[in-house]
Amino acid sequence: MKLIKAIAVACSLCALSAVAQAKTQVVWWDFLSGGDGVRMKSLIQQFNTENPDIEIQPTTLEWGVPFYTKVQTGAAVGQGPDVMTYHLSRLPLGVSTGTLRPYTMDELKSVGLGADDYFPTDWDAAHVDGKLYAVPLDIHSIILYYNKDALKAAGLLGDDGLPKGLDGLDNFNAALKKLSGGKTQYGVSFASSDGATIWRIFYTLLNQQGGVFLKDDKIVAGDSTAKAEKATAAMADWIAKGFAPKLTEYPASIALFTSGKAAFHINGVWEVPTMADLAKNNKLGFEWGAIQIPTLFDQTATWADSHSFAIPDRKGNPITPEKLKAVLTVISWMNHHSLFWATAGHIPAFKPVTESDDFKKMQPNATYSTLAKTAVFDPQSKIAGVASPVYDAATNFILPAVNGQMAPADAIKQMQGELQNDLQ
Amino acid sequence: MKIRFSIVGMLITLLTVAVAAIWAFPLYWTVVTTLKPEYEVVAPGVHLIPQAPTLDSYLYVFEHTIIEKWYINSIVTASATTFLVIAISAACGYAVSQLQFPGRRILFGIVVASFMVPIPALIISHFVLMNDFGLINTWAGIVLPQLMFPLPIATMVYRQFFDSIPKEFREAAVVDGANEFDVFLKIFVPMTWGVTVALAIYTFIVTWNNFFYPFLLTTSDTAMTVPVGITQVHDAFGVQYARNLAGAVLAALPVAAAYLIFQRRVTEAVMLSAGIKG
Amino acid sequence: MAERRSDTLSIVVFVAPLVVAYAVLLFYPIYKMVELSFTDAPLIGDGHWVGWRNYQRLLSDGLFIDSVFHTGYFVLLTVIPSTVLSLAISMMVVRLKGWLQSIVLACFFLPYILPSSVVTLLWAWMLDFQFGIAQYAIIWLFGAKVSVFKDPVWAMPMVALVTIWWTSGFNLLLFIAGLRNISPEIYDAASVDGAGRWRQFRDITWPLIWPVTVLVLTFQLILQLKIFDQVYLLTQGGPFNSTYVVVQYIYKQAFTLNHGGYGATVALFLFVIIATLSVVQLQVLRTRTVE
Repeated sequence: MKLIKAIAVACSLCALSAVAQAKTQVVWWDFLSGGDGVRMKSLIQQFNTENPDIEIQPTTLEWGVPFYTKVQTGAAVGQGPDVMTYHLSRLPLGVSTGTLRPYTMDELKSVGLGADDYFPTDWDAAHVDGKLYAVPLDIHSIILYYNKDALKAAGLLGDDGLPKGLDGLDNFNAALKKLSGGKTQYGVSFASSDGATIWRIFYTLLNQQGGVFLKDDKIVAGDSTAKAEKATAAMADWIAKGFAPKLTEYPASIALFTSGKAAFHINGVWEVPTMADLAKNNKLGFEWGAIQIPTLFDQTATWADSHSFAIPDRKGNPITPEKLKAVLTVISWMNHHSLFWATAGHIPAFKPVTESDDFKKMQPNATYSTLAKTAVFDPQSKIAGVASPVYDAATNFILPAVNGQMAPADAIKQMQGELQNDLQ
Repeated sequence: MKIRFSIVGMLITLLTVAVAAIWAFPLYWTVVTTLKPEYEVVAPGVHLIPQAPTLDSYLYVFEHTIIEKWYINSIVTASATTFLVIAISAACGYAVSQLQFPGRRILFGIVVASFMVPIPALIISHFVLMNDFGLINTWAGIVLPQLMFPLPIATMVYRQFFDSIPKEFREAAVVDGANEFDVFLKIFVPMTWGVTVALAIYTFIVTWNNFFYPFLLTTSDTAMTVPVGITQVHDAFGVQYARNLAGAVLAALPVAAAYLIFQRRVTEAVMLSAGIKG
Repeated sequence: MAERRSDTLSIVVFVAPLVVAYAVLLFYPIYKMVELSFTDAPLIGDGHWVGWRNYQRLLSDGLFIDSVFHTGYFVLLTVIPSTVLSLAISMMVVRLKGWLQSIVLACFFLPYILPSSVVTLLWAWMLDFQFGIAQYAIIWLFGAKVSVFKDPVWAMPMVALVTIWWTSGFNLLLFIAGLRNISPEIYDAASVDGAGRWRQFRDITWPLIWPVTVLVLTFQLILQLKIFDQVYLLTQGGPFNSTYVVVQYIYKQAFTLNHGGYGATVALFLFVIIATLSVVQLQVLRTRTVE
């Protein structure tokens, strides 16, 4: 009796909420917090004010596995948002589980977007099997934050205010040695207990040697094995020699830099607002800057990923044409307003914004946006991307090796074993 | 002799109180933290009493999360589960105990056996089943699988209770010409009042506290229950200890209050479910 | 005749809800789970029959085997310590009277009333690396702060500690009831005979409380084998998979990796283990109480 009643109540509540409203409501899920979260919230508010007939209803879930698991199960049961943020690195994985709905070029055209509006590498990464599954918003990468005052004191600052003499692993290590112990305790700080951070740096160093992580279903095969070991060993070296802090949490690694205890800091571009805000309020205590990760090996390369907008493929409950139109309007608006998004440190994926004078003047973005030319995205595979077996492997094998708990060769070997298994 | 014992006795009592205080300290510390402004929470040193008490954290939770929706979901699903469990188990326990029908022993045997089934292991099937009925993210979708947690024990408790009533009782009522439902509802059910209240309160508390099932049977944050919601939604909180803990306190408040008010009933229910008379 | 019919009808009405509930929510899911374990289906949708392949994979699945060992390790860290601790505390609490006893009992039992997510939020705060008050105790005992949930050595023991704090209240109630059932005259007689406290415990309390001890032990065993909440909320199975437990592996396979069939196989494994142990529990209990 009560059961039937409960179902009836539930159904009528659903019906109530489905009553046609003057506004089209767009259910939006993202994983953005911190500086990103603040800026996106303000963008959403601005959109809602400027577009009275569409209302974005945002929800922020926890970054990583929790977000992507909820999205996946939601889509499978015909629930989930109308639009969501999605990492391009994870696209193949998302498509393989049937979670994403492809866009058509006509749909993009209807809001004035086209292939030419985006950078080629980014545009490519948004496709799986020739179909477009996401519309890029930004390219984000890791950069080298530096303490100008500390570098000047160590003679490592050029007249242009940029660091000098950092290219080449030996030079970099020598610089770290100069900067460690003394006024700055560490030459460089990074979140050594965060798997995602470790992956990003590792992948950068691997690609700087021309190494290949995944090809023809083989993990770091051939001479890439030695390159992977070298990349891991380089990072482990920094910690072993005391140039970098061991097993440090993400917020703590930032705190080390902002309190002046670490001269360099390797982190994503998304912490730019953190530094900028502290400097503006005179809470930083030194001049700061950010450059592209120096070329420590043979080639210039930096890990990069991309935030994009994707529409879940909800089984039995596909997005209505009306909602789709609203979603496309949202996406187009967000792209056109991504200059503000760039204040979070990102490089907009939308060429009209990136090639505009306003962006070219934006600092520190302008200093490091050269990295876009040599950015390397995660391997396009369904075991790769955020919240994937590859990220897990980085956490379980490379992370301990970097922190001196495992030999690099061992770590690479075990990682190969586990990922090879997952590829089957 | 007597004096020595009472000194030792007093010391042990003091020790007991001390251990209890330490054991309960995390609870106190949590509540105190939620009443402090954020800067005081992260200030160095230990402040056992807030120096600038404030309800800001709680206000923040109410303003920036949909905890009101979660409360409704929790109240509805816990109440519905409790009601259904009590109704179904009392009826069946009564029937197995007092009525004669073929397969009665087998049925009860199945109930006892089902007590040994670890329900969480069935989560995959339950998820698929609720999806087939289109009940994911609905109250019914959470209530139905959750029923199986308390149902076996409640049935066994009721059966044991009804067994303790002499057969003459029912025979007398039936001879008077009353039909089965009247006998059950008007005579037997009122007799179970103590047991029913105890079981109901306890079932409500335990169901409110469920995490695994509501977590997996909802994919949308508007359908979540309070214990699930407070862990799932991350605003631009950053690391805001007081606010996270305020959410936790709000999640625990109803069940903690229920326990403190009905302490004896809850204890009784625990004993019943363990099959011990206390 | 009419009376007979109403009898049948009323029996059906009384019994049907439970039977229906069992059929739909217990037997059908069990059947489905077994069926699923022989396929390669995703979480939602159909798959193909693969015979015993999933089971064979179990045997060589490193993370699965690890999760079994971790679950065992966790059980070791919680079941016996919790039981011993509860027994000790119960002997202290049972001496108290009136409102003092009520308050003390509430202190120990209140944690059990809290939802798992509240307990984990609370302890994550207590043990927070930067600002947690428990770090003072850690510094005092071990000399330096420890990021407990990021350290592979500390993580599981800390999850166990939180669990013991959370669930001991339940054991406590059972022990107190058991202790109350022991007649004080036995103790009086023993102390007249000159038996000291320890002798009294060893020869009177321990044997007489044994049925309750067994009940508590087996109850805890079955409860802790099913652990998920605390691990998921405190460590997510890390660091380096050192706290991965079986139920979490079911979640990972079925919900995160979308392998419905394989997830069902793992679930079935856990199901059989716990069901078997429960049967053993029932038997042990029966023999003990008969004694």
